[in-house]
Amino acid sequence: MAHPFLTNSGKLSILAGAQTGISEEDARILRGLRSGIEGAYEELIERYEQQVFSMVYRLLGNQSDASDVVQEVFLKVFRGVASFREHSSLRTWMYRIAVHEAYNHRRWFVRHCRMEVPLEDPRPEHPNSLEYTPDPGRSPFEQAVDSEARTLIERALTRINPVFRTAVVLRDVQNFSYEEIADILQVSLGTVKSRILRGREALRRELTQRPDQGLAEAMA
Amino acid sequence: MTCWSVNRRTTDYVDGRLRGVELARVEAHLRRCAQCEMRLQDLGSIRSSLQELPKVKSPASLRTHLRVIASQERKLILEADGSRLRLLWNEWKFRLQEFMRPFTIPATGGLCSSLVLFGALAFTIGNATRGVAYEVPLMFSSDFEANLLPIELRSSMVLTLSLDGNGRITDYAFHNDSRSVQGNPATLQRHNIAMPEIPSVMALATPVSSDIQISVTPMIFRR
Repeated sequence: MAHPFLTNSGKLSILAGAQTGISEEDARILRGLRSGIEGAYEELIERYEQQVFSMVYRLLGNQSDASDVVQEVFLKVFRGVASFREHSSLRTWMYRIAVHEAYNHRRWFVRHCRMEVPLEDPRPEHPNSLEYTPDPGRSPFEQAVDSEARTLIERALTRINPVFRTAVVLRDVQNFSYEEIADILQVSLGTVKSRILRGREALRRELTQRPDQGLAEAMA
Repeated sequence: MTCWSVNRRTTDYVDGRLRGVELARVEAHLRRCAQCEMRLQDLGSIRSSLQELPKVKSPASLRTHLRVIASQERKLILEADGSRLRLLWNEWKFRLQEFMRPFTIPATGGLCSSLVLFGALAFTIGNATRGVAYEVPLMFSSDFEANLLPIELRSSMVLTLSLDGNGRITDYAFHNDSRSVQGNPATLQRHNIAMPEIPSVMALATPVSSDIQISVTPMIFRR
């Protein structure tokens, strides 16, 4: 029976990655995944779960949706590892899948759930209900100010166009280079710069034109 | 530079990718144009705020779900592969590679640096003249014992030495105003002309094969 994990010759592609530009680390994990080695799966989850979740959460603004999307991303990675051509790094490939999945999820949500009336609080999940990595070097007052500013910027981020938001999140939150973003989004470098600029401009408009509304929502 | 030109460079400026003349021109424009300056300041602040957003922790249940998915997918692969021996071999290989990772990087670095060092010095090996730390007497003479040369050093004379490419004397000759003697290289050692190698000015210089002439004036006759 043909299986997506197997190559055309019917054998596991143990040597895949040796002749391409991917790093030795990526090649080692890929070999492990293709051979069904438990440690490789564990290492991939350990290495990328947090990063991918963080990015998807910033794109969707909802923890539960982000969890669903991350599971879908890892499932696609596990199933697609045999056909991964290794033209880009494993990290870039995973983020590309994550961005696509986040778009798909949003599209599906808009199509199916837009008209539904939720029973619980209709506002997007309050960011403060999430667990954040603590910063022990800040006083309670500074933390309160930080929290307010953070809430404002997170709210503004959810309001801007998803295409521009993705570019801004990849650049400013995930710290990818322009080239990596171009590779993830599969667009030209000029388009990446333009999207980042338009995303930041949109954020600026959100923060300057509707600060009171943003603040009111943040404090609610 | 116009506002339009600055606008085109906004992303690069905010991300700190502008350099040199271009950066200076943008900054010069910003000193003149308050509107552009305020806009770029705002965009810079937004970038900083986004960078300072804390890392969001994933829910604990997510990892469990991912492990379950991984386990199911792994099972499918193993069923398709079938060979238990191969799986064991691959598992050990994966662990070994993981174990060796901390050692391979420093070892590779050490090997590379030694190769670079060897490569830089390789061209000097075999060609360099050995430098000597002591003075090699060219010749020795006293008023009564002219043991080096068949010439009494009572006046200035010129010693001509022919060198090969390795700095060794292959031939020599003396001549002064009245006499000229052709030397015999085979008797150099016997005549105590202890000059097996000519120390170069620079220890790593490449010797050349040519003649050199040394004028000798016995000190006793200088006054």
